[in-house]
Amino acid sequence: MLGAFRSALATPDLRKKILFTLGIIVVYRLGATVPAPGVSFKNVKECVEEIDQQGIYSLINLFSGGALLNLSIFALGIMPYITASIIIQLLTVVIPRFEQLKKEGQSGQGKLTQYTRYLTIALAVLQSTGIVALAVRGQLFQNCSVDVIPDSSIFTLIVMVVTMTAGTSVIMWLGEIITEKGIGNGMSLLIFTGIAARIPTEGQNILQRGGLTFFLVCVAALLIIASVIYVEQAQRRIPVQYAKRMIGRRMYGGTSTYLPLKVNQAGVIPVIFASSLLYLPDLISRLTTSTTSEPGWWQTFVQTHLVSQSSPVHISLYFLLIVFFTYFYVGITFNPDERADEMKKFGGFIPGIRPGRPTAEYLRFVLGRITLPGSLYLGIVAILPNLFLDLTGTGQNQNFPFGGTAVLIMVGVGLDTVKQIESQLMQRNYEGFLR
Amino acid sequence: MARLKQRARRFAQKPGSADLGPYQALLTSVNEREDALRELSDSELTAAATAVREKDAFGDAERVEVCALAREAADRALGQRPFDVQVLGALGLMSGHVVEMATGEGKTLAGAVAAAGFALRGQKVHVVSVNDYLAQRDAGWMGPLYDLLGVSVGWISENSTPEERRAAYASEVTYASVSEIGFDVLRDRLATDADALVVPEPEVALIDEADSVLVDEARVPLILAGSTADNHADPELAALIRRLRKGLHYEVDDEERNVYLTGAGSEAVERALGDIDLYSPDHVSSTLSRVNIALHAEALLHRDVDYIVRDGRVHLIDDSRGRIAQLQRWPDGLQAAVEAKESVAATDSGEVLDSVTVQALLSRYPVRCGMTGTAVAVAEQLRTFYGLEVLVIPPNKECVRVDEAPRLYGTLEEKEAAIVAEIVEVHETGRPILVGTLDVAESERLSRKLGQAGLECVVLNAKNDAEEAAIIADAGSHGRITVSTQMAGRGTDIRLGGHDQADRERISELGGLYVIGSGRHSSSRLDDQLRGRAGRQGDPGGSVFFASLQDELIGQYAPDVESPSEVDDAGRVTDSGSLATVEHAQRVAEGVNLEIHRNTWRYNKLIEHQRTLVLEHRDQLLRTELAYDELSKRLPERFEELEEKVGRDELVRAARVVALFQLDERWTEHLVFLTDLREGIHLRALGRQNPLDEFHREAIPAFHRIVPDSWDLSEDVLTSAKVGDDGLDLAGAGVKRPSSTWTYLVSDNPFGSGLEETIRGIVNLVRRKR
Repeated sequence: MLGAFRSALATPDLRKKILFTLGIIVVYRLGATVPAPGVSFKNVKECVEEIDQQGIYSLINLFSGGALLNLSIFALGIMPYITASIIIQLLTVVIPRFEQLKKEGQSGQGKLTQYTRYLTIALAVLQSTGIVALAVRGQLFQNCSVDVIPDSSIFTLIVMVVTMTAGTSVIMWLGEIITEKGIGNGMSLLIFTGIAARIPTEGQNILQRGGLTFFLVCVAALLIIASVIYVEQAQRRIPVQYAKRMIGRRMYGGTSTYLPLKVNQAGVIPVIFASSLLYLPDLISRLTTSTTSEPGWWQTFVQTHLVSQSSPVHISLYFLLIVFFTYFYVGITFNPDERADEMKKFGGFIPGIRPGRPTAEYLRFVLGRITLPGSLYLGIVAILPNLFLDLTGTGQNQNFPFGGTAVLIMVGVGLDTVKQIESQLMQRNYEGFLR
Repeated sequence: MARLKQRARRFAQKPGSADLGPYQALLTSVNEREDALRELSDSELTAAATAVREKDAFGDAERVEVCALAREAADRALGQRPFDVQVLGALGLMSGHVVEMATGEGKTLAGAVAAAGFALRGQKVHVVSVNDYLAQRDAGWMGPLYDLLGVSVGWISENSTPEERRAAYASEVTYASVSEIGFDVLRDRLATDADALVVPEPEVALIDEADSVLVDEARVPLILAGSTADNHADPELAALIRRLRKGLHYEVDDEERNVYLTGAGSEAVERALGDIDLYSPDHVSSTLSRVNIALHAEALLHRDVDYIVRDGRVHLIDDSRGRIAQLQRWPDGLQAAVEAKESVAATDSGEVLDSVTVQALLSRYPVRCGMTGTAVAVAEQLRTFYGLEVLVIPPNKECVRVDEAPRLYGTLEEKEAAIVAEIVEVHETGRPILVGTLDVAESERLSRKLGQAGLECVVLNAKNDAEEAAIIADAGSHGRITVSTQMAGRGTDIRLGGHDQADRERISELGGLYVIGSGRHSSSRLDDQLRGRAGRQGDPGGSVFFASLQDELIGQYAPDVESPSEVDDAGRVTDSGSLATVEHAQRVAEGVNLEIHRNTWRYNKLIEHQRTLVLEHRDQLLRTELAYDELSKRLPERFEELEEKVGRDELVRAARVVALFQLDERWTEHLVFLTDLREGIHLRALGRQNPLDEFHREAIPAFHRIVPDSWDLSEDVLTSAKVGDDGLDLAGAGVKRPSSTWTYLVSDNPFGSGLEETIRGIVNLVRRKR
């Protein structure tokens, strides 16, 4: 892989692309650290250090690379854009006009992209207003006494909202130009950057606990990353043959035609689903708890067993939810009947198995077999940080860069990008062939 | 204001907005030069043209000079003085643009002026036409002009001998159809001797009907085939398949692109073939493929729509032109299956030795330019695929054609009844009518209905293409009704008042030619081309399109159409929603075609790159003693021994022949591999992999094995070859070229897979969530 990078840097136009991408990432990181106007940088820093409970914002904060809690100009990160894309995607199913646009190919897609951008801006206005409102009322950092926005005049607040919204559109643009002119998928890379940016701080935290601990954590982290890469690459290849053409000679006999089923077919989504679901009781209990009365029995239960991330109840529930969602997600995204139907339609089949129902049965069988280790793997990777709790302090689990969602996303994006570089490299490296 | 708008469009890089301004300035200079040139004698004119060749640089001054000279020469040699707009067109062509000139503005002359310009600049020009007839006609027609300018010209047709071809290619301007050039390029790659090569290094391609060639036909592969052991389809299988019933034994998907056996169907086939298991390894790559192909021929290819049978042969019909595509065949056994279905004699079939797409063929030329009547609609594609800008030339005379709003009907019957009624009404005045239909069957159905209504009409379709010229010549005469397929849609010049234009005045007063489109085409350009038959060169004319909600276009591309809310008594649909559906369906069709084109090109780019590299290597083998050097290094003792027996020269030749043979063989195998790979690569998307990347990942290592393998195998051949009477016995050692080769075009991707797009959609959705 290092060799691939070296030759990539030796290829002029590829080098240009990589450097361009890195340049954009630097811009993105700079923006994530510049505080929005009206924010007291000193006070924010103080609050961030004090914080121990991140609540529902933790996932957004993860995606924005810590920019959210810094109240920087890029505080919203790429999240509004992601949300907008998902909403527009879903709307194409609901709104006939969108569906029509989608079918019209490139020009229609262009319009949909345009709508996505508008929606991103709208969402950004909403979210930034929400965050500014929380911050100015001191609710963003619940246990923090100092004012993060000392001057809370309406003008300052409006400027903040406008700045953050503008920041989001800049991020959107950065992401798009990476996809267009750089390398890899811009949106994923920016998320990747956000997560990776936390590694140094976390590393420092751990280093403070002693050299040996630091060393052990590093070794463990490398092990985890290596095994995640290993499992992410793993796939079951079901051979498929097509019988629609008569060709004079067929020498290779379809060894390269197969249907790959990934061990982790579901990706990182089950983990996100499960963790969001686990936040729900916490959120409800907070909303229903009044400051005056005693917390009810179930609120106490939630606090002790569900919110506390080191509790065995929390861990096992989390694990089970992930396993469940893995099956659920694979179930809805990979429909063996549809696949079998489509294969049949295009003249393909699995050798030795008749097309149609038998093929669907076979696919379902293989998928069921492969999803079990896949779901266990996801669950284990996700609960790993809970075992590190002593090292990182409570509440940090999802953001801890060596576990859970973060590692899955980082490895996923990293692998995709490396693969893209590799494939571009291959396309350019023909010239060596004649010599 | 209009200029400002144009500027803004240009700034936004909107298609078709290349700036005409500079050319207009040049045009003024051309006009100023005119009087001086009129004084020259013919030979002085030729000398002046030759003087341009001497110039070191070729800038605006030279361009002006060439245009002025060519204009004067055209006036003298052809009796046609190019209009200002034609000179503008020529200037645009010389700058490497695609120029859009309204139909009937004299593109041929503008093209010839530009070609002469390139030639005087010292570049060889290939004027690429759509068929042999046009190549020959234009070369002959423009010949005197080239003569007067001292530029040599040649043309190629299907029947040209290699010598004639070489001579034509040696001329400065060569007129040839795109397929002939492609076939020459392909045949050259069989040469075992450098002297046998035909095609020179490509320099300038000037493409007529550029949108049709560069976009519609771009992905059509030209094939060089060699005969192999037969794989004829057998008629019994065709008969067996014919007995199957749609719905019960097989199903056809909504887009009419795929057909497949149902469980009951495969059981019926298995029983009929003697209780075999179609899906067992024994039958998978033989019987099952045959059954599938026979089924495809039976269910998806329709007689008189996709092909016609004439003189005991199956002739394909070109989709976008409506005429017989002489050189086209279906690939991979489908041709034989159709022949079996129609019980006609099977034509040759064989294996693909090499192929090149039209797009790749034209991409070889460093300078490309083109002309057409409809370029703006594909400007975006011309830019992305070829880096060409579109320059819109204003018409010489304003077009005064009246285009009526399209009329939409609920059902096919209502639509056709309305068309007949419309024809009856217009015909009463004696105004000539041209009816453009979508396929042969429809043209015949309409002419029958017109007959029932007591009207006489002339039918022009792929079946009577021999009479084409005569029919078109009189299509504009009084009281004439011409029912045609797409054949009349492009490139035909219908003169008002018949071939002698005697009746011109009367017809003009009636409103000129009236064009009726019986249905919307799959692209708006084809609609525009058909409309463009009327109102040429400022003539009066009119057009109207009919459509029904049961049209194939809507069925295929907007299947979930809602029933219309406003229908009048005659069945005409007037609500805006339904009317918009038609436009929507057309846009979807265009989008789908673009997506297929883009996708095909993405994959083909790699194959073309590999092809270029192999050909470079082949060229080295052909022109140097590389094969001898390499193989003598590998087999020093054997070479010493052979050299004593047969002499060095013979050994050099033998080594070259063997190395070339092995290289060509490996390439043919590689192509088979790539086709196989391409067929199933979309499945990779299911494992969250990018199919294109995966394609590269597999195709590149396979490619890297070609040359080493060819050396290894050449080594084996030379080790085992026996020494015969006249040198080495290579044939005995397995070096056998195909006994005969032939060339054809493949009909457009009949095994297309929509699967890829659907899957990509799902995967994108998933990716974004992450």
